[in-house]
Amino acid sequence: MTDPEDTTPETPPLHATAIDLKDTAGRRGSDRVMPILLAAAAIISAGLVAFVVFFVADKAWPTFVAEGHKFITHGGWDQQVEGGLSGAATIFFGAKPLILGTLYTTAGAVLVSLVLGLGCAIYIAELAPAWIRRPLESVVQLLAGIPSVVFGLVGLAVVVPFIGNVILPANAADVVSDIPLEGASMLAGILVLSFMIMPFFVTVATDSLRAIPRSYVDGGLALGMTRWRTITRIQLPSAAPGLVAGLTLAAARGIGEAIALSMVAGAIAYVPNMNAGPLYFLLMPVRTMASAIVEIGGEAMNIPQVGSALFALAFLLLMISVVLSVIARWAFTMFNRRMGVVGGRRV
Amino acid sequence: MSDMSIKGRPHPASVIGTGFTWVSAAAVAAVCFFIIGYLIYQGWGAINWTFLTTDPQASLMAEQAGGIRVPIVGTAVLVLGSILVALPLAIGAAIYLSEYMADDSWFTRSVRLGLEVLASVPSVVFGVFGLSVFTLAIFQDLSSGGAQGADTAFGRSFIVASIVMGIHILPFIIKVAEEAIRSVPASLRQGALALGMTKWRTIRRVVLPSAAPGIVTAAVLGMGLAAGDTAIVWLTLGGSINMAVDNWWNPSQWVEVLRGTGSTLTTYVYFNSPAGEGNAPGMAFGAALVLILLVLVFNVVAVYVGRRAAKAGKR
Repeated sequence: MTDPEDTTPETPPLHATAIDLKDTAGRRGSDRVMPILLAAAAIISAGLVAFVVFFVADKAWPTFVAEGHKFITHGGWDQQVEGGLSGAATIFFGAKPLILGTLYTTAGAVLVSLVLGLGCAIYIAELAPAWIRRPLESVVQLLAGIPSVVFGLVGLAVVVPFIGNVILPANAADVVSDIPLEGASMLAGILVLSFMIMPFFVTVATDSLRAIPRSYVDGGLALGMTRWRTITRIQLPSAAPGLVAGLTLAAARGIGEAIALSMVAGAIAYVPNMNAGPLYFLLMPVRTMASAIVEIGGEAMNIPQVGSALFALAFLLLMISVVLSVIARWAFTMFNRRMGVVGGRRV
Repeated sequence: MSDMSIKGRPHPASVIGTGFTWVSAAAVAAVCFFIIGYLIYQGWGAINWTFLTTDPQASLMAEQAGGIRVPIVGTAVLVLGSILVALPLAIGAAIYLSEYMADDSWFTRSVRLGLEVLASVPSVVFGVFGLSVFTLAIFQDLSSGGAQGADTAFGRSFIVASIVMGIHILPFIIKVAEEAIRSVPASLRQGALALGMTKWRTIRRVVLPSAAPGIVTAAVLGMGLAAGDTAIVWLTLGGSINMAVDNWWNPSQWVEVLRGTGSTLTTYVYFNSPAGEGNAPGMAFGAALVLILLVLVFNVVAVYVGRRAAKAGKR
C-alpha cells in the first residue's frame, strides 16, 4: 500500500469539492459496474457448459432420432464410417464396439490405478519420510503434466512391442482367427491409460488421507493397533468418500482420453470377447469413443451423417462426464461433511 | 488388538502392506523417470540447431523431414492466444466467486456446478464442438482456407483453436485463481475497508496485488495445459505440419497466420509418430523431448511462483 491515493481520507476538504465529487462519482461508478462485469464473467464461464451441451445435443439429434437404441446396441462402426466417407447414400451407425472399448479400457485403467495409486497415496501421506515425500509428490505432479501424445508415443515405442513380442503367444493366430492380434491392444491401452489417470487419483487420495484428524490415528495407536492397522481400519474407511471422488475424477479423465488410446489400443472397432480366455480378451484391439472422434473428426465433419454420428459419440462422452463429475462432487460433499465441514470449504 | 506383536516383531500384515505401498510408490516414480529418460535417449540425437530452426517438410525420408520451427512457434502462438482468451474471464469469475458470492446461495452452487462440469468435458468434445461452431458462416473471418463462395467457414485456424483451448483451460485457471484470492487474509480487506476504501477499490488495490503470484501460477498452469493438449489442436488447427502462409515470419502476414492452419509440438509428435501419416519417429521423439522440457519449465515456474507467494503470505 505504497500508493498515496489509498491513504487519502474519504471525507473531502471543503475547498476541493468539484474534483472530489468527480472522484467519488467515479468510485461509485466502478463499484456499481464492476460487480456486474465480474458476475457476467462468472455466468459466462459457467454458462459455456450449457452452450456446449446444447450444441452437441443439437448436432447429435439426427443420429439419435434415425437410429434410436440401435446406435448403442449395434456394431460395425469402421465399415459404416468408410461407407459414409466414400459417399454411400444411406448409412447406419452402430457404436457398440466403441462404447464397450471405452468402458473396458477405462475400467481396467481405473482398477490398476486404484491398486497402485492407493499404495502410492498411503506411502506419500502416511509412511514416507519427508526427504522422499516431497520429491515423490513432485514426480506425481510431473506425471500428471506429461502430455497424452507423449504417453502415446512412448507406449507405441515400448509397451506395444513388449506386448507383441513377449506377452502375445506365438500361436495367437490359431487361437483367435477372426481378428489379427498385435501388440497394439486393449492391454496396452489399459497400461498406458492407468499411468495417465493415476496422478489425479493419487493427488486426491493423498489429500483425503491427510485431512483425517490426527486424533483418529492416535486413538487407534493408543488402543494398541499397529501403524498399518490404523491405516487399513481407521484412515482408509474414513477417507473412503474422498477416495471415491478421486477415482471418479480419474475415470472421467480416462473416458475422455483420445490421442494416447488411438495410438496404442489397436484402433479397430472390435468387441473383445472371452471365447479364448481372459488373456486373449485383453490382447484384442479396441477403439474408444474419444479416439474415434479424433481419428476421423477433421475430414468427416463435412459429411452430415458421419458428422452427426461423431456428435452422437461426443454427446455420450459428455453425458458420462457430467454424471461422473456430479458423483465426484457428491462424494466430496460427503467427505467434507464427515470431516466436519458443512457448507464451507475444506482447506 | 489381535494383531499386536507381543514379541516386539512387526506383524506380517504390516510388513506386506508397507512393502506394497513402497513398491507402488517406486513403480509410479520409475514409470515417470522411464518416460523422461526414454525421451532423452531417443530424442537427444535428433535435437540440434538445424532441427530447432528449420521448418518441417512433408517427406518420408527422415533426412529431408526438416525441423520443428513451425511447431514451436505454433505452440507459442496457441498458448498465448488461449491464455489471452481465458485469463480475463477467469480472473473476473474468480474474483466474483471469492469476493461477491455467498457460499450457500443457489446461484453460487449452480455456477460452481457449471464450472465443475465444464472442467470435466473431454478435450476431444471441445474439439468437435469448436470445429462445428466455427464452421458456421458468420465466423468466416476467423479462418481462411475454405472454398470460394461456400456457405460455411473453414473452421480451423489459430484464432479458432485459441478460443476453444481458452474455454478448455478456463475452469482450471478459475479454480487456482479463486484459491489464491481466497487465501488473502481477511484482515487486509478489513483494514482497507476501515480506511474508507470502497469494496472494488479494496479488491483492486489490496486483494489482487496480494493474490498476484497465485494468479500467475494459475495462468502458468493453464498455459501448461494448453501446450500439452493434442485433440483440440488436431481438430481445430488442422492436421497439417506447416503454417498456411509460407512467409509466416513477415509481420504483414501475421493476420493471415492467425486466420490460417498450423501445427504445434503435440500435433507434430502425433503426425510423425508411427501411428500418424508422417512416420518419422526420430523427429517425433525430438519434438516430444522439447515439448516435455517446455511442460517442465511451466511446472517449475508455477511451483516457484507459488512458493514465493506462500513465503510472502507468511511474512
